Amino acid sequence: MNDLRILHLEKKYSKTAAAGQEPFVLQPVDLTIREAEFFTLLGPSGCGKTTLLKLVAGLLQADSGQLWLGDSELTAVPPEDRRFSMVFQQPLLFPHMTIEDNVAFGLKMQKVKRKKRLSLAQEMLEFVGLAGFESRFPDGLSGGQQQRVALARALVADPRLLLMDEPFSALDPGLREEMRELLSRIQKQLGVTVLFVTHDREEAFELSDRIGIMGNGRLLQVGTAMELYELPASTQIARFLGMKNIIPGTVHGGRFISNEGVFEFSAGNSVKAGEWCLILRPEALQLLAPGTPAPAGALLVRGEVGRMKFHHGLYQCKLHVGGAQLDCTLSRQQAESLAAGQVYDFFVLPDDLHLVGI
Amino acid sequence: MWRKSKPYLLLLPAIATIVLLFFGGLFDGLLKSLGYFPAIGETRLELTAYAEVVQSDGFWESLELTLRVAVLSSILAGILGGILGVSLFLLNEASKTGQARVWHRLFQLPLTIPHLVGGYVVVLLFMQSGLLSKLLASLGVIDELTDFPVLVNDPFGWGIILTYAWKEAPFVSLLIYPVLSRIQRSWRDVSRVFGAEKWNFIREIVLPVMLPSWTIAVFIVFVFTFSAFEVPFLLGVTYPGMLPVYSYQLYTSGTFADRPEALAVNIILAALTIALGLVIYYFSKRWQVWKGWA
Amino acid sequence: MGRFISPVKIFLTLIFLLVIGLPFLALLLSSVSLNWQWPEVLPEAFSWRAWDYVLFGSSGTWQAIGTSLVIALVVTAVNIVLAVPAANALARYQFRGKWLMEAIIFAPIIIPPFVAVMGIHLTFLRLGLTETIFGVVLAHLSPTLPYMVRAVVISYNTLAVDWENQARMLGAGAIQRFLHVVLPHLLPGIAAGASLSILISLSQYLITFIIGSGQVITLPILLFPFISGGDPAVAAAYSLMFAGLAIVTLLGMDIALKNYYQTKKTVTGKI
Repeated sequence: MNDLRILHLEKKYSKTAAAGQEPFVLQPVDLTIREAEFFTLLGPSGCGKTTLLKLVAGLLQADSGQLWLGDSELTAVPPEDRRFSMVFQQPLLFPHMTIEDNVAFGLKMQKVKRKKRLSLAQEMLEFVGLAGFESRFPDGLSGGQQQRVALARALVADPRLLLMDEPFSALDPGLREEMRELLSRIQKQLGVTVLFVTHDREEAFELSDRIGIMGNGRLLQVGTAMELYELPASTQIARFLGMKNIIPGTVHGGRFISNEGVFEFSAGNSVKAGEWCLILRPEALQLLAPGTPAPAGALLVRGEVGRMKFHHGLYQCKLHVGGAQLDCTLSRQQAESLAAGQVYDFFVLPDDLHLVGI
Repeated sequence: MWRKSKPYLLLLPAIATIVLLFFGGLFDGLLKSLGYFPAIGETRLELTAYAEVVQSDGFWESLELTLRVAVLSSILAGILGGILGVSLFLLNEASKTGQARVWHRLFQLPLTIPHLVGGYVVVLLFMQSGLLSKLLASLGVIDELTDFPVLVNDPFGWGIILTYAWKEAPFVSLLIYPVLSRIQRSWRDVSRVFGAEKWNFIREIVLPVMLPSWTIAVFIVFVFTFSAFEVPFLLGVTYPGMLPVYSYQLYTSGTFADRPEALAVNIILAALTIALGLVIYYFSKRWQVWKGWA
Repeated sequence: MGRFISPVKIFLTLIFLLVIGLPFLALLLSSVSLNWQWPEVLPEAFSWRAWDYVLFGSSGTWQAIGTSLVIALVVTAVNIVLAVPAANALARYQFRGKWLMEAIIFAPIIIPPFVAVMGIHLTFLRLGLTETIFGVVLAHLSPTLPYMVRAVVISYNTLAVDWENQARMLGAGAIQRFLHVVLPHLLPGIAAGASLSILISLSQYLITFIIGSGQVITLPILLFPFISGGDPAVAAAYSLMFAGLAIVTLLGMDIALKNYYQTKKTVTGKI
């Protein structure tokens, strides 16, 4: 198994290291990335995700901790000897070389014979949809094409790990979508292990097998997109994932009561007493048809329907419940049976009631 | 440890070269100007040479000449270079082709011409029997060779001034041109909308924009002419000579005892240029003259 | 539009003829003149005498040109070796005493170098460096090195460290990174610095004269006696040669660089 194991990797920047930068600490990180896995580090800018990436690349030296790939330790190996490759935010194609020479650069460094490396480069260019561009120079290509070349260049030498530092963030939204699809397809086909860094959660959710969420120099939670979305470990993560309806409250004797007293339900005896937050996903709020009873154990929510917006084929609407305002997603059919300003009953199934520590 | 000392190690060869060959020379000169000649048993430091320099008329007359020549040539080069720069800018505004670039190149020719050749050109053109004098005579403006003013090897220094004005004007235009080229075509349009004539546009926008870098360029020319040797040596008179020439004469034609004096003149010259250099540095930082130029 | 172009163009043409055409013409006429008396506007007779002397006589022209070029090229080569690491440090590192290092390197631009050369003259004499080409090369280093450093610093400023990191991630070691990434990027800057360095070295008179003590004959040394009151025709011919040498060297550098980038295409460092 060629899993990448990050053991207690840690990095402190003092103020003097780079003028004008705040001191920054990357708390010790432990993480295993499985072979052929697409793993994404997701977090806001300044959270330490790029620092972690560069530590793995070897472009930064860790203060302590180890890095292993399978049975070999890489901690002290310089980046050029790790047989990793990396795609940066900018394409960084060498302007004085043709596209083909750019793609073959890594092979040249490994002293592969010219004929061999050019044919491999050509193959890879075909793979990213740029056959016929071999003898052009980078400045004749569009930004998207350049980034494809960068991807081909990173993949051609069969890297043991592909690192990607927000590679699509400089591209137009439409192009970004296209590039994601390309990357996803290529990654599956080649079975390459990818460590990807982004601040764009949609990008992370769309591409990744697993995601690690980072914040303030810590790795906060690791899981699949589904796990993170359904069971965020903290309100910080929930907020970062763009979750709505985070309702603070307390648990006492197994019952959760929101601070305004609007929401109350049995949380089960396993939940410790103290402060918690309830997270109601907008699509978990379901309309209760008039006259029908709520399912057993469901939380009943009665509120006044506010403004409704049509968005991506569904309706987003605001629900005023007591002093609180909830976001709620309704199907078109349901929404069109409602009138703004009227009070309706909604319910949330017990499985959708999530309590999260603060 | 390697990380911390790396920039110093990278700089070491260049710094060592300059320190050894340049500052070593300055220091060597300073010691000798203070009468420190261990080879002949003189190891005491004294200010005799400086006292003699300061008390001699030759030094003051030389300094006066040096200042006069430096001021006049830098102002002349500044005016010529300014006109050249603005003309090239206007040409560039008006034409889309690479024409202006060709002109720009052509006018930089004097920059590449060695100073001695520049000086000789002035001799050929401006001496009493030179080409200009011949032209004027054949046009009937002057009758006698002596009617033409003495402009070469003259005590005022006209020949030197003309040479530097000619050679450094392209330098001034080279320095202000990038600043001018930052003036957007749209500014021109805006000023036209407000009814600005061409001359108004130059006065209200072009001149103020180029002023800081123009001033710095003129200052650099000033410092350069202040301490240059070749042209004054060729086109000046024996007495008074400009400071570098004065020092050279003391150094070579005088006796061994005059050498400390020559070196004292050098040290004074170096001190003056350092002071002027600091002024340039201060103002160019303050006005951010090099922005967009580098 | 036309109303604007023509006056400027006419003005520039006039100025050009006056400040560049006329001097050139004067040199050319003088070099082929025979007995050009005042007030004749054109020489009475023409002769190749001066050119014959300069080019084919036992005047030592070719040897002087050779010496000049050898000195200029060696000085420039040494400058490149010294300037590239120095420019790297100045452009990319923040460290204690950086301003002092900059002040030291750029000092010879402001302080006239002959001051240092006169000061070091006796020491050179004692070390046996005077009257040698090697000594002259040493003397030419400090007036030229600052320009070389400056030119390379400008190139380094436009090269983001990311490029080298990228090459690193593709397996390039330190030497390979320098050869394949850094050097191609620096080349235009090095060429610009080399042009300046050659030009400055070629036109040194005083420094060469003091250290060479009349034994190292470069073109300016050979030229000087003629232009300060020697045969005017020979002086003009030498002047034209000297100016030509400077311009041809610069043009050569320019063309070599253009060719390089025509085969390698232009560098558009987009970062």
